[in-house]
Amino acid sequence: MTLLATSARRAAPVFACIGLLAIWQVASLALKNDSFPTAIEAIRAIPDILGDKESLINILASLRRMAIGFGVAVLVSIPLGLLMGRSRAVAAFFNPLLMVIYPVPKAALMPIIMLWLGVGDIAKTLVIFLGVSLPVIYHSFEGARAVEEKMLWSGAAMGLSPLQRLVRIVLPAALPEVLTGCRTGLVLALITMITSEMIARQSGAGNILFNALDMGQYDTVFAMIIIVGAMGICLDAIFERVRARLVRWSEPQFDMPLSFS
Amino acid sequence: MKVVPSRSSEWVRPVTSQKPASAIIEIDRVSQVFQTSARKDHLALSDISLTIDEGAFVSILGPSGCGKSTLLYIVGGFVSPTSGAAKIKGQAITGPGPDRGPVFQEFALFPWKTVLGNVMYGPRQQGVRTPEAEAQSRALIEMVGLKGYENFYPKELSGGMKQRVALARTLAYHPEVLLMDEPFGALDAHTRTRLQNDLLNIWERDRKTVLFVTHSVDEAVFLSDKVVMMSKSPGRIRQVIDIDLPRPRRRNELLLDPRYQKYVVDIERMFDEVDETGSPS
Amino acid sequence: MTPRILPSNVFLGVAPIVLVIAVWQGLVSFGFAPAVLLPPPGFVFSRLLQQLVTWTFQQEIVATLIRLFAGFAIAVVLGVSIGIAAAASPAINAVVRPIVRVLAPLPKVALYPALLLLLGFGHGSKITLVAADALFPILLSTYYGASTVEQKLIWSAMAAGTPRYQILFKVVLPAAMPSILTGCRIGLVISCIVVFLAEMITSTDGLGHALVTAARTFQAVDMFVPLITISLLGLILNALLGAVRSYLLRGFPEA
Repeated sequence: MTLLATSARRAAPVFACIGLLAIWQVASLALKNDSFPTAIEAIRAIPDILGDKESLINILASLRRMAIGFGVAVLVSIPLGLLMGRSRAVAAFFNPLLMVIYPVPKAALMPIIMLWLGVGDIAKTLVIFLGVSLPVIYHSFEGARAVEEKMLWSGAAMGLSPLQRLVRIVLPAALPEVLTGCRTGLVLALITMITSEMIARQSGAGNILFNALDMGQYDTVFAMIIIVGAMGICLDAIFERVRARLVRWSEPQFDMPLSFS
Repeated sequence: MKVVPSRSSEWVRPVTSQKPASAIIEIDRVSQVFQTSARKDHLALSDISLTIDEGAFVSILGPSGCGKSTLLYIVGGFVSPTSGAAKIKGQAITGPGPDRGPVFQEFALFPWKTVLGNVMYGPRQQGVRTPEAEAQSRALIEMVGLKGYENFYPKELSGGMKQRVALARTLAYHPEVLLMDEPFGALDAHTRTRLQNDLLNIWERDRKTVLFVTHSVDEAVFLSDKVVMMSKSPGRIRQVIDIDLPRPRRRNELLLDPRYQKYVVDIERMFDEVDETGSPS
Repeated sequence: MTPRILPSNVFLGVAPIVLVIAVWQGLVSFGFAPAVLLPPPGFVFSRLLQQLVTWTFQQEIVATLIRLFAGFAIAVVLGVSIGIAAAASPAINAVVRPIVRVLAPLPKVALYPALLLLLGFGHGSKITLVAADALFPILLSTYYGASTVEQKLIWSAMAAGTPRYQILFKVVLPAAMPSILTGCRIGLVISCIVVFLAEMITSTDGLGHALVTAARTFQAVDMFVPLITISLLGLILNALLGAVRSYLLRGFPEA
């Protein structure tokens, strides 16, 4: 592909963003609805939000909860998924539990969890943890399952213990699939975070959104939407970079749709 | 890039035919260049010129990668040649059409349709009304030996049966030319020989023109009136051999026939020989 | 995301549910959890049956179902058409692809306040949110299925006389069905979840709303009932979709 074509390809998402914002601008001008500010008005409100100490604390709190929930989930789920992939006993034990949890919307558990654990950070972080765990476990499981038996035999012949084989062969071999799971988990972390904050409003980005809604500050509402959207895009882009680096050696994986759990 | 013109001239005329020979397919100086992912150009076919007479059974024989399938696809209109042109009955070939019916090695049956549904597809597409199309299709299905399987899905059939369906499906829209791309390549030896026999029996009925791609020498000799030998990539025509064996051909007779054996031995030897550009085929 | 962790036959489908109920009962009976916070399964299910025969609860279910089906239907129609169009035309692909890449990682639920402002607090905003969330998996699966159709199938159809514009409907669409239906399955699960969450965030009716109302009055049992209802609905709808899938794909070899 020519240099022009590759740069056009890379720039395309940027054009898409600009295009979408342009459509927004035109639509809001056309509709002349008070509750539908133009894109420019919304963008102008962004520095106000980021400058406001209260809001900034809220947003950072959201990110912190997300990071912790995601981090702990990954630390727990990857080993669990890998183990399930290689050991029938472990798989048989956890499968039923997971299959039941799978269809339940985790953020919907917020009120129930709040009932049990109060309204603090723990409740929200727990929900994020649950939301992220499932895709990561599933993909780690699939990735571990697909590891070629012969690779493990070679490892055993070289004198590696089962634990060493898990860490030094299964983990790297399953890494592409595991990272796909993590990417899905990251998207879900963001979604679960926002949703749980919208449901149980004490602090956080979701809270800011709905406060602004209640108080009629429509610019702020849309500005927050852009901020959250940007967060999502940035996190995804960063993760993609890291992922591509880590699994440079693997075959390209199809951009499979994000599954929601 | 030096393009070496093919040496032998290509007037293919079936000696056994009673009617005056008339060309149906003309391939004129066709070359095909593919762009590989490594940004290099790959010359698949080099300056092919060939004329095929109506009613002839012509095999295109060559090693893997010599471009023989590509040549078939060009005649079928699925691929456009980089240079040169192919014509059928004087008309330029610009795309696929029911006058040239393909039969692929992978069968390519529609998995969502039954055997009957697959065979009826062509006639329905031609505008034949359903009851008629169904009757015609049933007859064809019986002719290829699959009576009773009309409501089966392709996944329930063996490889040999799938290929019979594929053949019936193509015959259903009455093409003038049959384009067969290593149709028996995916089948085991026993099924292959049975289908070769059955193909000849079916062909004898109305003697359509057949272009048959294969890499098997004995298959080519057994089935055809003419064998077009191609060199390895870039594909060029090395030689065209008339197969002067009587029809109808029976495998058990032919295998013992010294003329058949000589054809096979000679052609195999030609493949082993070094050709004029200095590289073995 | 379809859990292919265990082969899906009925017994293994029911077993985990039974297991969880058993654990649940155990937690209550052995005093690990006070009944106020975690009512025993028996209570919850009897309350569920009680509610099911009341007109008000039935109305909640209907409201939720309307939004779910409408949103899902829109997502299917848009997702399949755009997916096939993008697979068929490089021009459309060039436009659609970057837009999808930008919008996909965006939490659509963040748009919810905007939708509330524009479409009000009733059905419209929720249906749109459901459609927006369910759209992407369906679109991507359709695109994938349509762009990986075996070339020789298309060639066979063309040789049989199918004009170019009919190839999409007669060959590409049927051949892409397995992928499309997989995407629809994911989209259906997402629809169930999103409609429930949207109703929890703000609504005047629906199952999600019922949960939040019960939460405000600290009625633990009444909180569990809508949650279990939506889970059951999800299971039933999934099973129905599975049956439709089996019928439509009866000719296809098992992937």
